[in-house]
Amino acid sequence: MPAIEVIGLRKTYRRAFRRQGHEALRGVDLSVPQGSAFGLIGPNGAGKTTFIKSILGIVQPSEGAVKVLGGSPEDPRIRARIGYLPERLHLPGSWSSPAFLATVARLKGLTPDKAANLRLLERVGLADALGRRIGGYSKGMRQRLGLAAALLGNPELLILDEPTDGIDPIGRVEVRRILQEEVQRGTTLFLNSHLLAETERVCDRIAILAEGKVLREGRLEELSRGGSRWVVRFAPGADAGALASAGFTAAGSEGVYHVEASDAAGLNAALDKARTAGALLVELKRDGQDLEAVLASAMGVAA
Amino acid sequence: MSGVLGIAGYVLREAAARKFILAFLLGVTGVLVTLSLSLRIEVVDGALAASRLFGEVMDTNILAVDVALRPIFMAAAAIVFYGGILFGIVSCSDFAPSLLSPGRIEHLLALPLRRWHILAGTFLGVMTLAVCAALYGSLGLVLIFGVKTGYWTVGPIISALLACVSFAAVYAVMLTTATVIRSAALCAALGGLTMVAGIIAGYRAKIAPFIEEGLSRELFKAVTLLLPRLSSLAQASMDLAASAPLGVQSLSMLLAGVLVFGLGMLAVGFWWFEGRDY
Repeated sequence: MPAIEVIGLRKTYRRAFRRQGHEALRGVDLSVPQGSAFGLIGPNGAGKTTFIKSILGIVQPSEGAVKVLGGSPEDPRIRARIGYLPERLHLPGSWSSPAFLATVARLKGLTPDKAANLRLLERVGLADALGRRIGGYSKGMRQRLGLAAALLGNPELLILDEPTDGIDPIGRVEVRRILQEEVQRGTTLFLNSHLLAETERVCDRIAILAEGKVLREGRLEELSRGGSRWVVRFAPGADAGALASAGFTAAGSEGVYHVEASDAAGLNAALDKARTAGALLVELKRDGQDLEAVLASAMGVAA
Repeated sequence: MSGVLGIAGYVLREAAARKFILAFLLGVTGVLVTLSLSLRIEVVDGALAASRLFGEVMDTNILAVDVALRPIFMAAAAIVFYGGILFGIVSCSDFAPSLLSPGRIEHLLALPLRRWHILAGTFLGVMTLAVCAALYGSLGLVLIFGVKTGYWTVGPIISALLACVSFAAVYAVMLTTATVIRSAALCAALGGLTMVAGIIAGYRAKIAPFIEEGLSRELFKAVTLLLPRLSSLAQASMDLAASAPLGVQSLSMLLAGVLVFGLGMLAVGFWWFEGRDY
């Protein structure tokens, strides 16, 4: 059973006295496997936040079916199993973080556990700010508190909308570690982040959403794979002619070549030929694209 | 139900952090303390013999205590009724808009709550606040005068509760407004308008003859028919506070009218909120 299953999802925002509304989602089909770390990427205005709100029942779809954890997102029992961090979480400034967490826990129907809440605040790096009012928190600290609220009750599905927004680079590493721990624990992670490198590091599956449609979806390595082409770097002084006759083509930079090999045997045969010609192998990697290039190619824009 | 109580707790915690509301509670406490320390009343055989305010002898006739206290309780009831509703409109106008603000409402709607829990909880939280404040002030007044005169009455307390019932109808309008347009100013404005309209509705029979006969008078009658008769309730509240005979024909009908109006407004708000995207 997928953690999230969306079929033919359409959302049109209608405004009073206007015949035509704004079509934010135009027939989205998506399935998020349980236990996966799923990243949703796309340009601004692609419909990512509308999609997230639709799978949480915050926005009501105009058409289509949404199933989350095998049930309707409108069902509070289903929502009790979800942790959500909105894009711009508005926190009560006069409260302390333990008070906020205790209130959210109560609204989630959890048994009050002060010690567990404190451990959670410690886990997101807010141990030193327990006595301070939330109003005095930095943007990054607020985001961490939002993450702690999402993690309350060990949810089966974590839906995070820009979780590292405003967090410093060290903090991002900490957040990434927490998210990876959650995925290892078996939690399904659904992440929307404009930081592609962040998504690439955390997620194993990606969907590209643009103009309300899913353009591409699949495992990260499948999307970023460049086919049977490999990038090889040899130590300076390699014989270019011998390498060319062995099937290597110069890639532009000094010592860097491309070679086509459909399997491991073909790749090793080509490398053996190069080594026989006196070339010393320094680096070998599949000629893949990074997420930015994948997004750009899906959008039809040059990276 | 726990969802409703949870949201009510959320609202009360927000209220506790508001300096405006804390200042109001301090002000009420100040008035009660000043009154209890500065007022000396001597009662002989159930009649007011001598009274001193800030040490100065008050020039009063010898009257039975309940008769002497009648104007005081009536004035207090009027202040609690109109002042309380006005203060409630101003101080509670941004509770619902704040709860429905972007970034907060998404978070609440993603929690295991029904949508109506959020509105019902907000309403319950605000009404708890109003009832507590009304009881605090009226109970304080009853205690002070009870201890000083030996005359005990629940009139001012019932009168304060009537003010809360009236405020409930006004707040229902404010809450419904917030679900349509998230603006504290608009909520306060419509709350104020409801209060004024409610006062006019209480005098509709007396005002109607001054309006030109025909469509306009019928329109006035039709519109005011739907509104809660707040001024009539205020009069009843003052009569109850003073333990005087009720001037209104039927208090229960007045209360039923306010209840129907409030529930009707809440039903509109709940219906609108259920279908809204955030």
